[in-house]
Amino acid sequence: MRLSSHKQRSGETELPMTSMIDVVFLLLIFFMVTTSWHQAERELDPGIQVRESAGDAAARDLEPALVEVRRAPSGPVFRLAGRDFEDAQALTDVLRQFPNKTEGAVVLVSDAVEFDAAATAIQACKSADFRAVTYMPAGDL
Amino acid sequence: MNMTPMIDVVFQLLIFFLTVSQVSRVNTEVLELPRLPGAEDQQTTSLTVNLNAAGELIVLGEKQSMSAVLEIARERIGSVGGEASLMTTTLRVDRRSSSRPVNELVTALRGLGITRVRIGVESPQ
Repeated sequence: MRLSSHKQRSGETELPMTSMIDVVFLLLIFFMVTTSWHQAERELDPGIQVRESAGDAAARDLEPALVEVRRAPSGPVFRLAGRDFEDAQALTDVLRQFPNKTEGAVVLVSDAVEFDAAATAIQACKSADFRAVTYMPAGDL
Repeated sequence: MNMTPMIDVVFQLLIFFLTVSQVSRVNTEVLELPRLPGAEDQQTTSLTVNLNAAGELIVLGEKQSMSAVLEIARERIGSVGGEASLMTTTLRVDRRSSSRPVNELVTALRGLGITRVRIGVESPQ
């Protein structure tokens, strides 16, 4: 097999600047594209439901997991089965113990709380493997 | 024909358009979303409604009244064949915002027959 040895004979090494600049630009653009300047966004997926009538205690009793997000003097609290939780992890742990996850969970959100608390309650239900989470506006709880 | 510069140029154009399309997708309102792991990765959506800390509704980069947002939602429902249940609506709500405007918006969307929404969260690294 014959190999060209032109450059070796001449004794000069040629550095093609055009290709070098191309490669440098490619690398620059690649790192610009792949660098994440913002936190990655993901999504929570609740259905929405509007309470048609207040005080329907019998119907509410049938719902398997009803998390109320309401304001307390100390800040937002999550009320589940008559117990108040201030910690999202504790809420998640209790929700995990619910046997029936297929019927979903309902998050009842008071107007008086910050949205962060409502999203935290939805996340707790999702983390506890509830298949469906329903967001229900609750007015002034 | 010299193929090396041709391939270089093609790659440059490819990366340029990839970059531009990505920028247009993330060019949404700058909000402090709830810092939560989320449940699923972002998907394409029919309508994205941003709600800032002051409780203002922002759609397509412009502040909108509730009635204007609902009008946009009606148009989008029309674009998916009039079937509101097929609408994919994403709410990007600033975590410092009160739940009151969210509740009002959710109630109004429910009135249009939109029953499924996605809530944007910011994944903590």
